[in-house]
Amino acid sequence: MRTAQTLLRMDGVCKAYAGVLALNHATLEARGGEAVAVMGANGAGKSTLMNILGGVVAADSGRITLDGEEIAIRSPRQAAQQGIAFVHQELTMLPTLTVAENIFIDDLPRRGPFIRSVEMAHGAERLLARLGCAISAKTPVEQLGVGDRQLIEIARALRRNARVIIFDEPTSSLTKPERQKLFNVISGLKAEGAVVIYITHFLDEIFTVCERVTVMRNGETVWSSLISDVGPTRVVQLMLGVSENEGRIRTPIEAIGEQPVLSVRRLCREGVLNEIDFEIRRGEIVGLWGLLGSGRTELLHALVGLGPIDGGTIEWNGGDGPKEITPERLRARVGLVTEDRRGEGVLLPLSVSDNVALPNLMSLLNAWRLVDRVRQNALADAMIERLRIKAADREQVVSTLSGGNQQKVVFARWLATSPRLFLLDEPTRGLDVNAKTEILKLVVELAGQGCSVLLVSSELEDLMRVCDRYLIISRGRLVGALPGSADVDALMRSIATIKNEYEAAP
Amino acid sequence: MSIRKRAADFLLQRGFAVVFAIIFIFFSVATAHFFQADNILNIFSAMDPLAITASGLALVVMTGRLDISVGSTAFLSCSIGALLIRDHGLNPVLGMLLVVGCGALLGAINGFIVVVLRVNSLIATLSTMIAYRGMALALTDALLVELPAPIRFLGNAKLGPVPINIPIMLIVLILVHLLQTKTSFGRQIMAIGNDVTVARKIGLPVDRTGFLSFVLSGALAAAGGVLTTIENGAVSPFLGDGLEFTALAVVVVGGVSLLGGRGSIFFGIIPGAFIFEMIRNGLTNLGADPYSYRLVGGAVIFAAMYADALKSGRYALRPQS
Repeated sequence: MRTAQTLLRMDGVCKAYAGVLALNHATLEARGGEAVAVMGANGAGKSTLMNILGGVVAADSGRITLDGEEIAIRSPRQAAQQGIAFVHQELTMLPTLTVAENIFIDDLPRRGPFIRSVEMAHGAERLLARLGCAISAKTPVEQLGVGDRQLIEIARALRRNARVIIFDEPTSSLTKPERQKLFNVISGLKAEGAVVIYITHFLDEIFTVCERVTVMRNGETVWSSLISDVGPTRVVQLMLGVSENEGRIRTPIEAIGEQPVLSVRRLCREGVLNEIDFEIRRGEIVGLWGLLGSGRTELLHALVGLGPIDGGTIEWNGGDGPKEITPERLRARVGLVTEDRRGEGVLLPLSVSDNVALPNLMSLLNAWRLVDRVRQNALADAMIERLRIKAADREQVVSTLSGGNQQKVVFARWLATSPRLFLLDEPTRGLDVNAKTEILKLVVELAGQGCSVLLVSSELEDLMRVCDRYLIISRGRLVGALPGSADVDALMRSIATIKNEYEAAP
Repeated sequence: MSIRKRAADFLLQRGFAVVFAIIFIFFSVATAHFFQADNILNIFSAMDPLAITASGLALVVMTGRLDISVGSTAFLSCSIGALLIRDHGLNPVLGMLLVVGCGALLGAINGFIVVVLRVNSLIATLSTMIAYRGMALALTDALLVELPAPIRFLGNAKLGPVPINIPIMLIVLILVHLLQTKTSFGRQIMAIGNDVTVARKIGLPVDRTGFLSFVLSGALAAAGGVLTTIENGAVSPFLGDGLEFTALAVVVVGGVSLLGGRGSIFFGIIPGAFIFEMIRNGLTNLGADPYSYRLVGGAVIFAAMYADALKSGRYALRPQS
């Protein structure tokens, strides 16, 4: 192994999107022969920083030096020429082309006008052999699994003698053996003296794969050190920051005597969800607490049939005793608010009134079986008043409302169907402090009226203001539960426990 | 795997060959004249313009786009060439080159509209399909443009028993096939057809490749028009009328997916064109109603599209590990 020397350095990198600062003098230092983990919660700026390094977006200011030389990166192509390779989370495979073609597609070896197929196949197989992979170069990629596709993606990166290789959440869709194989590949790359930058949401992986860790928060680099200098809890604390306690909106209640509204037993999906067991009682706000990629969104989706399940039962108590229910039928009974309100929550070009009426049209019909405009308007006005939606009137187009008010429209749509359970996935994402508080107050109000709530949020502060208890999720498994009185430390420790299931790199 | 599933798989993978064989055997048995060397050569000869046009169109389809202006492109290019030859004494060989160049130019206009102005390819080529035909009708006053006798003679030229246009067609298709399989350009076409966003992310010249596919489609459509014109000795106002749909049908029947990224020129277009010409020829030999050809042709297109849909569905549903 070569002596570890500083290879890559990023200094004072700034980037603003539409006036909002995504990176504020971020720094990153990485050495050859080592892997550095770049950690950070959603919106911490790690993707932006990596996209700048990979040439996907341009920085507003800052310098990047590689081997002591300042370099300019304006496109992915230039990044590649500098020896920087980006293995994206979304693989860029072309399924109907062969393995060799996929590796060489942006620079096919030619003699005259024609591709030198034989040479290309040999080259591809040599590269794949370096990665310990023995796929025939003539296989169409569509016949291969995700793990193999990822190796091909890495092979494409290696083709240009990459000195820096960025892995963006490389394990999110890999099976356990595939993951182990990838780790071996990464240690091979390190042994060859390359800089490996490793982005993941899985804490356990960085302690297996990486020598160094850099933590980002709110666009700034808040920590850089050897990985041996920190423990998992410390990393979580650094990622999430010390939460400023805004004060609870309501003190945790213990809904012991109440009937469960929803009971989930042994719910699983191969490789995603594992033996999920929990129940939610009437009037309770349950926080589902875990890092991104822990399976929290997948769990919500599985409950309402937006994602498949392989086994388990869901019991629903609609007021007449618990009954088993299918996810598809459950969807009609719960209010689902997703993080992507523009894509999944509201119909932007329509008015507030139309958005509120949409899931309730059947109850708004008049004697002619047509939608009764008067009743629709009454409903919309009632909702605008009840949720304090700030709109000029009910005919205002939703796309012109602020984020918080759009989110309220999403709630309004469901409220009119009077669901007994709300599933909320990051309902406060992208909202300012006041709008956040409004939404959280609304959640508490709903619970006070007897609704149950299962709440997912990346922001611990938000959860801690409303939750009556927490379920801890990690790697698709509920690994614990905490009472509503749990403090920040306890919550951070709970998701920082690591089960070491990987062999350390040889 | 159950026998039923295996049979279904076999039909999907080899369905084209099965249908082909059934139709071929049916016509051979049902009519006396069909299964004879010179009739088979006739079919091959008659399908040439269609095959050449379809091979160009296939390049566009492989990128995941459509070009339905090919018939009008052929008509307008040939009209311009024929008028110059008849009225201005242009050298016929130069005239042919001019026609192909003209087709390339008309294709470039399509490419410009689609790639630079970002208009959906179906809409863009629908408008040029109408506009090109209109221009050609205005130029020719919607009348037959007859060509001088020597060119008409060329239409009957033969290499031994084989009409000269068959080897021409084969050479053109082999060249297009090599272009598609063995050059960077061809692989880039397939890459775009797989996924434009990914191709762009990798850094492929997506726009240039897309543009050139339209240029080639136009040039090959004009080349197909040249063969038709030589055979007829004249440019009729109906040249290329409906050709876009037959050519598209040939492309689809030949196994080129409309979703892009999948298919073969030589091994797709030739059987595809042959099956269409064979049905026309066979029905004529049967003495069937000439309009029945459309019904049978429509059924074949539907079957091919349905198989394509099933096949793509199957690929998409295949678990990824």
